[in-house]
Amino acid sequence: MTILDFKNVSIDFPTSTGIVHAVTDVSLSIGEGRRIGFIGESGSGKTTTALSAMRMLASPGFVSGGEIHLHSLPESNLLKLSDEDMRNVRLSRISYIPQGAMNSLNPVMRIENQIWDGIVAHEGAMAEEELRQRSNRALESVGLDPDIVGQLYPHELSGGMKQRVCIAIGVCLDPDLIIADEPTSALDVITQRHVMQTLRDVQGKIGAGLILIGHDMGLMAQSVDEIGVLKKGELVEFGPVRQIIEDPQHPYTRELISSVPLVGGESFLDPKPATPAKGYATEDGTPLLELRSVSKTYGAVTALHPMSFSLDGEEPKIISIVGQSGSGKSTMGSLMLGFNEPSTGAVLFKGHDINRQSAPEALAFRKDVQAVFQDPYACFNPFYRVNHALKFPFERFGLSEGPAHVQQAMEDACRAVGLAPETVLGRYPHQLSGGQRQRLIVARALMLSPKLLIADEPVSMVDASLRATILKNIHDLKDQHGISIVYITHDLATAYHVSDYVMVLYKGHVVEAGPPKDVIGDPQHAYTKLLISSIPWPDLDRDWGSSEDAEAGLAELARIDGRHEMILRSTIPGFSLGVD
Amino acid sequence: MEDRNAAAPETAAPDMTGLSRAQLRRMKRFENPWLNPKLLWGLGLLLGIVALGILGRIFWDTEMVFTGSGLPRQAPVGIENLRGQVGSWAHPLGTDVTGKDILALLIVGAPNSLYVGVLASLIGMSIGIFLGFSAGFIGGRTDDVIRVGSDVMITIPPLLILVVFQAAYGDISLTIMAILIACFVWQSPTRLIRAQVLSMRESGYVQMARLSGASTWHIMFREMLPNLVPYLFGSFIANVTTSIVTAVGLEVLGLGPQRIPTLGRVIYDAINSGALIQNLWWWWGIPTLLLAVMFIGLLLVNLGLDEVSNPRLRRL
Repeated sequence: MTILDFKNVSIDFPTSTGIVHAVTDVSLSIGEGRRIGFIGESGSGKTTTALSAMRMLASPGFVSGGEIHLHSLPESNLLKLSDEDMRNVRLSRISYIPQGAMNSLNPVMRIENQIWDGIVAHEGAMAEEELRQRSNRALESVGLDPDIVGQLYPHELSGGMKQRVCIAIGVCLDPDLIIADEPTSALDVITQRHVMQTLRDVQGKIGAGLILIGHDMGLMAQSVDEIGVLKKGELVEFGPVRQIIEDPQHPYTRELISSVPLVGGESFLDPKPATPAKGYATEDGTPLLELRSVSKTYGAVTALHPMSFSLDGEEPKIISIVGQSGSGKSTMGSLMLGFNEPSTGAVLFKGHDINRQSAPEALAFRKDVQAVFQDPYACFNPFYRVNHALKFPFERFGLSEGPAHVQQAMEDACRAVGLAPETVLGRYPHQLSGGQRQRLIVARALMLSPKLLIADEPVSMVDASLRATILKNIHDLKDQHGISIVYITHDLATAYHVSDYVMVLYKGHVVEAGPPKDVIGDPQHAYTKLLISSIPWPDLDRDWGSSEDAEAGLAELARIDGRHEMILRSTIPGFSLGVD
Repeated sequence: MEDRNAAAPETAAPDMTGLSRAQLRRMKRFENPWLNPKLLWGLGLLLGIVALGILGRIFWDTEMVFTGSGLPRQAPVGIENLRGQVGSWAHPLGTDVTGKDILALLIVGAPNSLYVGVLASLIGMSIGIFLGFSAGFIGGRTDDVIRVGSDVMITIPPLLILVVFQAAYGDISLTIMAILIACFVWQSPTRLIRAQVLSMRESGYVQMARLSGASTWHIMFREMLPNLVPYLFGSFIANVTTSIVTAVGLEVLGLGPQRIPTLGRVIYDAINSGALIQNLWWWWGIPTLLLAVMFIGLLLVNLGLDEVSNPRLRRL
């Protein structure tokens, strides 16, 4: 039995530059108890489509055509309901689980009162005893202890718990349909697995339909029954998850699936050239980069516990630093760039302490150590054309031999990263897509031919279909231009493919390190194991485990929290790691 | 439209069909935000006052600001005063009790008031830019000193200090007055710029500039400052308004420059000579009207600039 029908729905946004047809002629039905995934890149209309069922489109959007029917209503066309009737439908018939739970809960209200709010708004005032019973039941259903959590304020909960509270609010009135808008995009993979499984369990228990909005094919494969692929506001493909993943028809769907790199899967990189470019070598064997018992504390918080390693640049390699947010990986990046001074120890580049340099030495260091940052949107000064970002360092480091030479160098660099110079150079940053911008940043690094490149989450904010290309560009820097790279990421699958050596960071400690085939292919440390089993892959036959498994994993994590043990796997030449 | 597609390649392109002509025309206005009606009207009003000063000096005799230039208490053209004398074209806006020509007073006085406001605001902004950048960029002790200093200064009512100061020094020039007022309008730009610099300092392009070996000077003035321009404009206009209000306030108390006509000075004379009781409304009314025009002009410019720098405020 279908609970919700979209019939030829179109949604328009009148804007200052014309009407944007955000959604065009989308029709699909959601069966009772079925889980539907809406997948597509940012701006594809997936959230807009789902929100139209709640009549909560962001202004000035409106449904310009079609009908939306909720069959449990006597008058089923949602678009014809009065505002008051629609208010009654929200939460009680169709509930919404937002993306950022941290912003969705009222910071000055206890959790149980926030659940009561929704109940009272729909069913009128009732005795506190009864309300408490209802909220306790809702909290229990998402695996939270109602006696403790119900009395807490949102800031006292972790991100995963807050998201589960949002689920509890969403299901407390037994809705027919739950719309979950990227409910786990702000969470790390371990918590993501737990929250997703909780959501699936609860949804199964109350028998509601579920619309899961997301951009991660792996997560979809593990969570839904049917997938709708949206592109530029059109539903390009819709069908059972197995059919979509195993036999995608639309080229865009194929692109989405192939853009998810798999651990152990086929590599998306070019094979290694026979004669890799030579890196940088010193006569007396001084390593390119050395960390000597470096640690970093911010007040009472230790972001990075003392660690040492040395990297020689003779044969260029990619060292991956893998960890979740708060693991200290970005701190390591900024220490290596000299943006931060270590609390103890020293960072040495070619044998010189980078925080004790004279001005000319600092300039030479800057030329030799470059970076690619996470956010391609922020990396360009909106005031200047993109050329400024490429030209300025080139001239500043004295590489330029006149304007024609700069222009030539910029065009060559653009071509090297697969951009047509005439389409990007001379434009303003807002005229380029995130992928184009990030590739320009890689091109910028290429122009300066540094000895070392720090790539801090270079692809996490880029649309999935472009990630592989950009990683390939970065990988080419190593193979063809002899640049050693430190790749900082939370994504184990890409680290598996691009790197020569992987360090897994957990709360400022290195917990496991070694070549990627060992560390990621066959993890030994409890944390690494948990991390890898939590990654959602677009593989239907792989069991993601139940929520009990996830819970057991989190308990195991809590157990190892206090102590730190490091598992060192085999080593590679030119890189040595030590912990003191 | 092509640009928009480049920026968001996954979003459907806007459709221009089925729109009325009027809508299309309004859209065109959005293409160039500087053609904002508020901004244009505001600038028009302000330019009108400047034009009054320039054209007035050419076509009118500004010597008539002195006592006894005409018959006293003349009403504007075609209006009878209490004595039954009808205003003539010799003094189109009438005269005051000492026979000063009101039009000449306005021609000289209105640009003076604007001049004090703009100059004070310029000086205040310069101080604000310097201190705001220093506080936000250098941080630490410098930041503490500047922040506490500007916070303390914000709490001090400027008029109180200025009254004491001017009473002690007596007659001053317009420029000195502007400088004095500037001492009280640097705090809010300082705070504004400090806040912006603090958030901008961590932004990607500043990090990139650091990676490019840029000097502090380059980062501050080549990377950050251009992006502050909309804020600076807004703050500048707001400061001009504040400065004019302060200047007029002092003048109306009789504390401004004694020998140079300003709008506030005219109102002061009017009040002091019993213009309200004698029903010489043109004496105080017309300068007040001109001040109102000036403030409305500044407000419109400020609103217009807001819309230019913040596209979300633009409505169809």
